[in-house]
Amino acid sequence: MDTAHFVIDKPERWDSSFDPDMTEADVNRLLEIRPFSEMNSGKFSKRTPLRGILKNDARIRRFKNGEIIVRAGDYGSSAFLVLAGNARVVLDPGLPVSLLGQRKSQHKSLFQIVAQLWTNPRDPEVRTPAELEQDTGVKVGGEFKGVFLQDVPRILDEHLTATMSPGDFFGEIAALSRSARTSTIFAVGDATEMLEIRWQGLRDLLRFDDHLRHHIDRIYRERTLATHLREIPIFRRLNDEQLKRVIEQTQFGTYGDYDWSGDYKRLVKEGTRSPEKETIIAQEGDYPNGVVLIRSGFARLSQKFGHGHRTLNYLSAGSQFGLREIAHNWAHKDTVPFQHSLRVIGYTHVIVVPAPVMEEIVLPTVPRDQLPEFFTPAELAGTEQSESQQKLDAGAKIGPELMEFLTENRYFNGTSTMVIDMERCTRCDDCVRACASANEGNPRFLRHGQTTGRIMVANSCMHCADPVCLIGCPTGAIHRGQTGGEVVVNQATCIGCSICSNNCPYEAIRMVEIREEDGAFMVDKDMKPIVKATKCDLCSDQLGGPACERSCPHGALKRMDMNNLDSFAKWLQR
Amino acid sequence: MSGFVRRRLLWGSLLLAATLAVISAYARWAGATTREAYLSGWVLFGLMVLLTGYNWFKKIPYLPLGRSEVWLQFHIYAGLFTGVLFLLHVRGRWPTGWFEIVLTVLYVLVMVSGVLGILISRGWPKRLTARGGEVPFERIPIVRRQLREQAEALALNSVAEARSATIAEFHARRLHAFFAGPQNFLSHVFEIRLPLNALLNELGDLNRFLNEQERKVTAQLVTLVRQKDGLDYQHALQLTLRLWLFIHIPVTYSLMLCALAHIVLVYGFSAGVR
Repeated sequence: MDTAHFVIDKPERWDSSFDPDMTEADVNRLLEIRPFSEMNSGKFSKRTPLRGILKNDARIRRFKNGEIIVRAGDYGSSAFLVLAGNARVVLDPGLPVSLLGQRKSQHKSLFQIVAQLWTNPRDPEVRTPAELEQDTGVKVGGEFKGVFLQDVPRILDEHLTATMSPGDFFGEIAALSRSARTSTIFAVGDATEMLEIRWQGLRDLLRFDDHLRHHIDRIYRERTLATHLREIPIFRRLNDEQLKRVIEQTQFGTYGDYDWSGDYKRLVKEGTRSPEKETIIAQEGDYPNGVVLIRSGFARLSQKFGHGHRTLNYLSAGSQFGLREIAHNWAHKDTVPFQHSLRVIGYTHVIVVPAPVMEEIVLPTVPRDQLPEFFTPAELAGTEQSESQQKLDAGAKIGPELMEFLTENRYFNGTSTMVIDMERCTRCDDCVRACASANEGNPRFLRHGQTTGRIMVANSCMHCADPVCLIGCPTGAIHRGQTGGEVVVNQATCIGCSICSNNCPYEAIRMVEIREEDGAFMVDKDMKPIVKATKCDLCSDQLGGPACERSCPHGALKRMDMNNLDSFAKWLQR
Repeated sequence: MSGFVRRRLLWGSLLLAATLAVISAYARWAGATTREAYLSGWVLFGLMVLLTGYNWFKKIPYLPLGRSEVWLQFHIYAGLFTGVLFLLHVRGRWPTGWFEIVLTVLYVLVMVSGVLGILISRGWPKRLTARGGEVPFERIPIVRRQLREQAEALALNSVAEARSATIAEFHARRLHAFFAGPQNFLSHVFEIRLPLNALLNELGDLNRFLNEQERKVTAQLVTLVRQKDGLDYQHALQLTLRLWLFIHIPVTYSLMLCALAHIVLVYGFSAGVR
């Protein structure tokens, strides 16, 4: 038998460092600055020493006057420490979107819409000078191709700002909880120096150093947690003192891989996606030790079925797990274990309110009729299903195969997923032609994609709840629109770096070479073609919504929010 | 009651109400005026203009004119309603004169092609989905070429490997034409498996003249033949789903031109009629 094997080196944690130009001298300098000077390097593991984290997961960046460091609404994956100089954080109300290098959301006028009859160009991917014109207040450029505010003194005069000085830390909450940046921060003066730490390094610093973890936990509890808990009905009746006690004892957990999209693409290629490989947050049959609140990301809710697990639903930000069991145990003498398992799909950030806190502080404030439905002996014996269980079991509503299909292919991420009923679709391509007509002759999707039974999910931007394409865009060109939260690309600030396209796990973003109005390819001064990212923008500038959906004569195509499986089930049974 | 049934009941009721209203109104007008044919003609022509407009509506999807699905429902039921108006207009008699016959034949062609088109649009997508192995229509020639090349390679290699030309000859005689282009169009449309079964039987019969190695090749050829048959099935149904509009739309425009000429002629020769 042939025993020859293809041998490669095992990939290492720091094969690809954040900045290959980081020197030992840079690291020595950082180790003399707080908070690193206060860290005990002996607490770090041998595989991930403090020096290694600083050398490989951090980089020193210098910003020029007016250069935007973080932008409100962006999804960033790194935190910043001010090393030298000053930065200003813009307080509410923030800067107008045009100054952030983003596109103003606005519909075309009726005349502009009608004019498309004769103004649509004959060549593909034509851009007019007006489309590529930057707002006069911003300029794209610099070492990292950032966006610069042009008139800083005026901005300082017209907007409320706060100063950030050396030693200040920011961006860690958005980086760790994978939520949008809440403020815009820009450099003031040409000597602003920042240490940027990517999320992997930040995670390890938190793991091995209590000081930084306590610092970030404190900021998170102060700034975010109270607001978040107040939004959840069961915590609404707590007074300030009770809420403070709950916040003090609440725990945080981050599961899975922040860079799940890259891993997912690899797993798809290898064909090795499997629920068994997903990390378990809470396991069916275990004692319920806390209510799990999903803060960001997604988790799979499953129940044992035969020798495997049946997916009942997937939980997204704002969902909770385990409340029913804990409320039942609090009100009764028996102990009901977790009835389902909760597994990470990709990446999940959770908040856990321990069971004793729920029993002592939270549940006594909730009126009896607003508590979750208690378990009946018949339900525990598996002979009948309660209303709560039926509500939760989306798999039963849309069918178990479709449920597994949506989960395994991560389609739950879509808020406007293009779903086609293949038993109604006559393959006429009216949808593709309508898309092309509404986008100056350039269709922004393929009527082709993964299929299960009669349902096809077409290759089109799903306008994800967790838009990984937004992570890493150097100019913020790809961003959420201000009206419907759709993900759009500002053609004026897109530099064609392909980061968004590579990040997208669904391959819904295409890089195209653009043309002038006479059909000639646009080139830069090195005669290289200008490339831009293109994708579906849900016809955000047209009246009447997505042209693809409106143009389907047989009602076979629908843009669906995959977090609302009840409406999906209704559409399937229409 | 499902949404599908509810919608059909609503549109069906509207059609029935419109039919009853127009028949009763026509009966009253028929006694009171001699120009009822003018009225029914103009209503019929106006409706036909609206129905033709659906084709234009599809070309300007960016105009906020509502969903195409709703307009198609209107197109279908208003199209059926033109049947009622047409019968009233011609007073239920067979046309006389070649121009009237042309008009009637064009109208019947539009109506029949429309009804057939709707029937296949509703039924055939289910067939395509149930059969599986779907390939986008534009990619069918590419996949067909790949299958043809694979079959040719198998047949050619078998000559050198088995030192026998039996499979190669069979390929030249039967399979070459089968893989060269779309086959058995009508059989696929009418879901008849006879041509496929006949070819598979011939391949099966060939096995008695082959050695073990060659039989493995025919097994692979059988798989390719089944794939090609599936591809032809997709081609036949997808092509028909697209082609019926190429009959319905040109005939519609011919009908509209003839109807215009009909109006001009009617007014040109109607002097003195009150």
